Amino acid sequence: MARREPSLFLRLFALMSLVLAFGAAVLMTAAWYSAREAADEAYDRLLLGAAYQIADAIQVQEGEPEIALPVSAFELLALSDRDRIFYRVLDPAGRTMTGYESLADPAAEAAAPDKALVENATFDGEVVRVARVSRRFDDPQMRGDAVVIVAQTVEARQALARDLTFRSFILVGVMGAIAIGGTIFAVRRALAPISRLEVAIRQRDPLDLTLVSVSTPRELAPFVAEINSFIERLRGRVELMQQFIADAAHQLRTPLAALEGQVDLLSNNEVTPEGRRHLDRIRVRTGQLSRLANQLLSHAMVAHRERAVAGSLVDLTELTRRALDDAIPDTLERDILVTLHAPPDPLIVSGDPVNLAEAIKNIVDNALRHGAPGRITVRLSRHGARAVLEVEDDGPGIPPAQWARVVQRFGAPSSDGKGSGLGLSIAAEVAAAHGGALCFREKGAFGFVVVLTLAAQGREVA
Amino acid sequence: MRLSTRRLILAAALAAAIGPALLALSAGAHGQAMTRFPAPGTPSDTLSIHAATDLTALAPLIQDFQQLAPGTTVEIREYVTNDLFSAAARACHEGRPLGDVLLSSSVDQLVKLANDGCARRVEGPNLPRAPRWANWRDEVFGFTFEPIVMVYNRDSVPAAEVPRTHLELAELLRREADRYRGRVGTYDVRLSGIGYLLAFNDARQTTTTYGRLLESLGRAQVVVRCCTSEILDEVAAGRLLIGYNMLGSYAYERVRRGQPIGIIMPADYTLVLSRGAMVPAHAPHPGLAARFVDYLLSERGQGVGQSQSFFFGLDGTAPPGIEGPDVVTSGIARPIAVGPALLAVQDAARRKRFLEDWSQSMIQSAP
Repeated sequence: MARREPSLFLRLFALMSLVLAFGAAVLMTAAWYSAREAADEAYDRLLLGAAYQIADAIQVQEGEPEIALPVSAFELLALSDRDRIFYRVLDPAGRTMTGYESLADPAAEAAAPDKALVENATFDGEVVRVARVSRRFDDPQMRGDAVVIVAQTVEARQALARDLTFRSFILVGVMGAIAIGGTIFAVRRALAPISRLEVAIRQRDPLDLTLVSVSTPRELAPFVAEINSFIERLRGRVELMQQFIADAAHQLRTPLAALEGQVDLLSNNEVTPEGRRHLDRIRVRTGQLSRLANQLLSHAMVAHRERAVAGSLVDLTELTRRALDDAIPDTLERDILVTLHAPPDPLIVSGDPVNLAEAIKNIVDNALRHGAPGRITVRLSRHGARAVLEVEDDGPGIPPAQWARVVQRFGAPSSDGKGSGLGLSIAAEVAAAHGGALCFREKGAFGFVVVLTLAAQGREVA
Repeated sequence: MRLSTRRLILAAALAAAIGPALLALSAGAHGQAMTRFPAPGTPSDTLSIHAATDLTALAPLIQDFQQLAPGTTVEIREYVTNDLFSAAARACHEGRPLGDVLLSSSVDQLVKLANDGCARRVEGPNLPRAPRWANWRDEVFGFTFEPIVMVYNRDSVPAAEVPRTHLELAELLRREADRYRGRVGTYDVRLSGIGYLLAFNDARQTTTTYGRLLESLGRAQVVVRCCTSEILDEVAAGRLLIGYNMLGSYAYERVRRGQPIGIIMPADYTLVLSRGAMVPAHAPHPGLAARFVDYLLSERGQGVGQSQSFFFGLDGTAPPGIEGPDVVTSGIARPIAVGPALLAVQDAARRKRFLEDWSQSMIQSAP
């Protein structure tokens, strides 16, 4: 038993989703990084601007450095209005002029620090962004670099980065939704030929052995070709087998007829009573054998015609009348009353007249052989869109437990050895091929009933 | 001695107003006045407020808050702004608690404390009511709207002379130098944080006017005091004629009491101060403290403040009887935003230099 595989659609969808999700994750990460960078860039400018303003406010008065912190520098920093601000101003001698003594100089160890520098640090237990700018003094009384260090907590940056990331998130989300929708659409469209092929194959008649002719994309062509080649082989086999059966039956009939003749000749001669008993048995068995050969031939013919003959409109009443004539032999040992009840109007069905006649003959023959001490009644009627043929006999009938088996080939050879087990199965096969069915009824007006139902507008027989 | 007398008078006035059983007065550990408002219900907890705010203004708010929290005993320690700042800064750096709520009109000091990590973030349903300029980091909240006014003695200053702008004041002092010598009062910015904050902002508003005003005040031998109330007392008594840079709410309270004080909102610009509230990082009862700060900004707290304590709404609605244009609609209001820009005010070097300049003009130039 093959393991059940997930559908192609699910596979494609899952794989595409995976790729998309991965892509979205990469994009989001990139967006987050670039948002952080953008936020840093924006706020670093403010930080540097403030530091330059403060540096600009350093003055030398009477040889001493002085600083009057400009409020505007703080107003600039206050643009990120929730962040704490730390600052420190160092004179060229390295003494703190004002601000937070514990704020470390980020470039304290550098030999030749840049004029301006911004980096991350921590102060007072908080992550801060630190800017450092220096200002060169070349006054006679004061030489060297004054340093301004300004630090600010990063709430505003984080808020901006979050905001920017969130916007990218929405964009990526929308893109993802569109891509997923597109994937569903594309995969469905791409897989449509498979569904078409599936429908075409599923809707075929089980007996239809013609080739599949559905236009398919290149990828599916091998499957269709393989199916068609399989059908062709199957058709060849079936025909071969039918041919073989027909040939065999046909070949058997000639020697059997000769055998029957020899037996008849022999029975005219003097034989001991013991010998006559044996002779009678041989005759019965020979009769059975030739009937079997006939039925096999009939079966092969029915099967062949099912495939090969197109249906035509048939009057079932007329057909039944002729079939009855054929089925009831003139040389019957016993007197039997055969009645046909038919509606006045022709009962038209669509089908193969030969096969239908064969089916009716087999049903009547079955009644003659197995039951019917004296009466057989055939009734034709129309029930809505169905034509119904009932064959009732006054014989013992078939027990319900065997109903299912008697319609199978060699399903229930009769216990007395008189039947081949093929007759009713032929009738059932013909009924099925005409969109009908064969069933049984335990008790009719006086006996067992075989019911053959056909579609009044029967399906075309291929 | 002078301080303690004042405290006793205040306590007596409060006791008369509130009811004798309600108040207990004792000296605090640092020598500040400590006033206790016993819980009206079964006492369950104590809220400790360290305030640089007049008790008369605070009492109605405390009592109304206790209606909402009947189990709460409220203790108030009174400070001058600079003392409160240095005590809070010291406590913060040593990791000690100092009260649950700090109230100060010197918001720059509260901002400096918050910037140094000494404040705790406060959350409450009413806090979003604070205007944007009156909330920094959800740590320092401005809860009042207090125009900075000039006051004058109605009996002694003729109506024609009443100055309408800062420049007019400078001109008046120059013109009538003899009459006003030694009879104009203002904050001693060396002692009062709020005086410094106001003077600093004056200096930033108009450099020329400020220079002239400083010069005139110095020449008029301005009288400097630690606190608004002392100057108001002296103006009401007629010893001083004009008080400069006074808190409008305190002055208006005098007017309501029938004292002969006139209030002028300067028509060139009127500074507006928002009294600040902050919960220190090491507050022992942060939940209760947050509830109190939230109450201050609630509709109820604002209503009580407007009718009994500060008289101006946070939206700028002014009580009747104030001279000068409407402070909000005329566009003369210059609110001092509660925010990091105040850190420049608190910079040690800048403050030192500012005080030196100020002292030179005001004190040493006096003959």
